[in-house]
Amino acid sequence: MKLLTANRLNDGRVIYLGEADQVVETIDAAYPLDADAAQAALAQAQSRPAVFVNPYLIEVEGRTPSGRDRLKESIRSLGPSVGHSLDFAARSETA
Amino acid sequence: MYRYDEFDSALVRERIAEFSDQVDRRSRGELTEDEFKPLRLMNGVYLQLHAYMARIAIPYGVMNSRQMRRLAHVARTYDKGYGHFTTRTNIQFNWPALQDLPAILSDLADVEMHAIQTSGNCVRNVTTDVLAGVADDEIEDPRPWCEIIRQWSTIHPEFSFLPRKFKIAVIGAEKDRAAIRTHDVGLQIVRGRDGQAAFRVFVGGGQGRLPHIAQEIASEVPGRSLLAYLTAILRAYNLLGRRDNIHKARIKILVAAVGLDAFREEVERQFAVLSQEDLRVPDEELTRIKAYFAPPPFAELPAQSAAHDAARRLNPEFARFVRINVRSHRQPGYAAVVISLKPTGGVPGDITADQMEVVADLARLWSFDEVRASYEQNLVLPHVRLDDLHAVWTRLREAGLATPNADLATDIIACPGLDYCTLANARSIPVAQALSRQFADLDLQERLGPLRINISGCINACGHHHVGHIGVLGVDRKGEEYYQITVGGSPDEQAALGEIVGRSLPSEEVAPAVARALDRYLEVRLTGETFIDTVRRLGADPFRTAIYEPIDAAA
Repeated sequence: MKLLTANRLNDGRVIYLGEADQVVETIDAAYPLDADAAQAALAQAQSRPAVFVNPYLIEVEGRTPSGRDRLKESIRSLGPSVGHSLDFAARSETA
Repeated sequence: MYRYDEFDSALVRERIAEFSDQVDRRSRGELTEDEFKPLRLMNGVYLQLHAYMARIAIPYGVMNSRQMRRLAHVARTYDKGYGHFTTRTNIQFNWPALQDLPAILSDLADVEMHAIQTSGNCVRNVTTDVLAGVADDEIEDPRPWCEIIRQWSTIHPEFSFLPRKFKIAVIGAEKDRAAIRTHDVGLQIVRGRDGQAAFRVFVGGGQGRLPHIAQEIASEVPGRSLLAYLTAILRAYNLLGRRDNIHKARIKILVAAVGLDAFREEVERQFAVLSQEDLRVPDEELTRIKAYFAPPPFAELPAQSAAHDAARRLNPEFARFVRINVRSHRQPGYAAVVISLKPTGGVPGDITADQMEVVADLARLWSFDEVRASYEQNLVLPHVRLDDLHAVWTRLREAGLATPNADLATDIIACPGLDYCTLANARSIPVAQALSRQFADLDLQERLGPLRINISGCINACGHHHVGHIGVLGVDRKGEEYYQITVGGSPDEQAALGEIVGRSLPSEEVAPAVARALDRYLEVRLTGETFIDTVRRLGADPFRTAIYEPIDAAA
């Protein structure tokens, strides 16, 4: 199966195509697509440039990235694995 | 430091207005991403894995406290409270929103900062010796020449669409503290036959996929001819450089392909037909620019400070900091302080907004309002009284900025890698953190002595792994992160590319492998011999054996 992902135009954040053409921020809310549906979704995302920047399809098993770019897509879905971004997230949660 | 004149201010403000309009049009869908991308890149804006990234220029690495404080404001207001200093002495913010970018640039313009030419196929931020105007081996301060090159190259109509990016570094001493031979053009100030500053010129250096050490193309270009000579080099490159293959478009490929002598002939042909007078820096302008970099009003002080000596005697931790992070100053009674942005287990080059404000305070109070970024991803307070070192250290320590590891094993240069970068094949930061923890013991680091470890997350080599004494390059093997190790690289006046010592290793094996190589160094070194000198004497084989013998035995 595949998921459709992109960066969001206004803030560059990672987004996915969810159910009923919703734009969702987490991979868990992304809508799995078979090969035909994936191509159609890609074409539709490309026609929504005010939201989707550089949309493309990723391979998944369930909603876990698979295939050659699985590490990159995992990092995209979870955020940086190290560093001040994590500190920031931790501070935000405790604030 | 240099202050904007009315031309600089107008240029930066006009560019912000133009970019603001472009952002608005992009937001309204009037520009496609393909149309917008080259425009945002001209303003230092990338789209990375998780967000936009804004790269801000710090010309030749020099800032005042107001500028550093404004960077803290940007980090806190528009980002996640931190920034990342790069090997081009720029700073990157990893999380700005598109609509905030004009406001960020406007806030920065208030303090004479901008993002022009921090990306794109143009002349990038000129870098220099972080100890310019400090080191006593200097023939002349390189910063005025950096400023002249900055002014000449900024939005230069002929050189705004080069075959590829173009990086220039300038040093004023024989000792190379700016890695000039890894640059497209490296300039070393020498004393000309007429007693005036002249330039030894190196060309065709660069890292990336096809690394080259720059070669000497001219031994003594007079200062008055510098811009004409640079123009001739860039014109030759602009005309002859390849544009059909991005991987073969840098000047290093051109110089290697045609040969240094043929390239020199072409440069001299261009040089001969240039209008020299038009490109000559007027004497009064040179004097005006040099005045901005005149030494600050130092006090007349003895070379020794009793208070400083006593503080060192009483506090071994402070004494270690002085030993490792403090550099001598040409002015008696003063020193330069390296502020390491490499805490144990930290992210090389990262600094929080709070820390930026501490550094700004220290610069204002104790370093004539000046702080510098080094290409090693650290900061430097260039002019601190010996009497004040203990107070500076105390404040740095409170802020988590007093790690005594400058130029030691944990002073690691690393790119952001796959945690942020779309180009990366593998993560750099976790490997840097593992190495940092592996060598956290300060006594061990001192025993190992000067040592540079460089890590890049892909072959583009933003972490300068080719010229690390030990280099680590992340590679992708069927979707898994692996790391290739090189030994014997050097960025200085004995510049050399490291030798790949064997097959790539999984992430968790890198730090132990480097530890074995350094254990071997401690066994085989001669008295007082640094790691790189040992590699130069013995070659890479002893270290290759140390790294792979246990792995091969276990296989």
